[in-house]
Amino acid sequence: MSDTQWPRYEVFKQDSPNQPHKAVGSVHAPDAEMALLNARDVFARRPKAVSMWVAPASTILSMTAEEMAANPGWRMVSETGEGEERPFLIFTKTSQRRSMTFVTHVGVITAVTAQEALATAVANAEFDAENVWVWWVVPESAITRSDPDDQASHFAPAADKTYRQQSSYGFVGPTRKNVKRET
Amino acid sequence: MIDSAPEKKLQEFEERIARGEKIEPGDWMPDEYRRQLIRMISQHAHSEVVGMLPEGAWIPHAPNLRRKMVLMAKVQDEAGHGQYLYHAAETLGISREEMLDALLAGRAKYSSIFNYPTLAWADVAWIGWLVDGAAIKNQTMLAQCSYGPYSRAMVRICAEETFHYKQGKEMIVKYMTTGSDAQKAMVQDGLNRWWWPMLMMFGPHDSDSPNSPVLMRWGIKTRSNDDLRQEFINEEIPEVLALGLTIPDPDLLFDETSKTWQIGPINWDEFWQVVRGNGPMNAERLAARQKAHDDGRWVREAVAAYAEKVASSKYASGK
Repeated sequence: MSDTQWPRYEVFKQDSPNQPHKAVGSVHAPDAEMALLNARDVFARRPKAVSMWVAPASTILSMTAEEMAANPGWRMVSETGEGEERPFLIFTKTSQRRSMTFVTHVGVITAVTAQEALATAVANAEFDAENVWVWWVVPESAITRSDPDDQASHFAPAADKTYRQQSSYGFVGPTRKNVKRET
Repeated sequence: MIDSAPEKKLQEFEERIARGEKIEPGDWMPDEYRRQLIRMISQHAHSEVVGMLPEGAWIPHAPNLRRKMVLMAKVQDEAGHGQYLYHAAETLGISREEMLDALLAGRAKYSSIFNYPTLAWADVAWIGWLVDGAAIKNQTMLAQCSYGPYSRAMVRICAEETFHYKQGKEMIVKYMTTGSDAQKAMVQDGLNRWWWPMLMMFGPHDSDSPNSPVLMRWGIKTRSNDDLRQEFINEEIPEVLALGLTIPDPDLLFDETSKTWQIGPINWDEFWQVVRGNGPMNAERLAARQKAHDDGRWVREAVAAYAEKVASSKYASGK
């Protein structure tokens, strides 16, 4: 591991308590604690965020619908798994609309391997595999979550700094009346 | 594994783009698509990172606390935009380290605009209004791009750049409507220096833009350099003139038949000089990046040492 290439962590952000976590991008960090701090600086400079998860990119099984179709053998790998069952979080991308987020957390599946969890998810009508473009499977043990007790200190400053919001400037143009006096 | 012929794969790939589907990491893509995206996205990331320097220089000299907070937030955004974009490039198989090495070694390109100096406070305002305004035009197009990670980074960046544009324009409007003669002169001087480099940001004329056809064919770009530049000047020239400012272009005229603004010839020799590293600030910008990289080394070493210590104590305590 060199000076500038720390492991990559994928970042999942939750905008409000009733919404699922969504993949927003990645950060590099020497450990999960620093990854969470970097993720806050990179992805939560503005509202909204109430929670963040990070997971090492190397622990994530990612498969696109195209990859699955081109390589039907991907299911076979799951049958070789041995060991204890554990929970895997399932994320999917179901839309081609323009968006600033990628895959969305849609459920948890208990399995021995990530491949087995994926095969189970694809077979489960709840996950609507016909309309999934990308699947991510993340072992729950690989995820580090922001502490709910830190929520206010961690994310609130992003909401207080209204001068970061384009909406706080209103319409700006030569015809604008009431230019505020600078203090 | 079904190994369809390359022509068939290419055909399927182009059909996906025609249907408006996003290409995602893991999907098949032509090598040239990957190569063009790595080139574009890494240059774009470097532009955000180097773009912190001309404005960052004015943070200690901001005229009041509000302007200082706004400028700090803006420069912090540019750092974040660089991170979004390095992430998008990484999904194509290049490492962030390779990109940073290329930048520090002077092998990487970045937007030529940041090789011009910020000589006065009003330059910060012009960068917000016109430089970021021009960037938003380009980035709004790229938000439609066929490659998912680049498109998503652009959607996020455009939402934030609108703040950059407005805070800059707000300052120019204020200085020109309520400012002193000295402030108005400072604004005009800034416009004189930034106008032409800003127009060059859209890139060479379509006839001199060798990468454009393949970028358009694969939905990376959906509009041409000249098309975006024309739309931008049509929107902004009336706003600039309404403030009583003079645009430094003796050939500028409004064409009544086409209802568009016509500008004089752009000095492309200057553009290529700056792109090739001979602009007024190329050497200073790279030296500043190198210094920041070197000065940050102890921080990187400290967090790495801490992470190692925590990891080893976890093993020691059996957690």
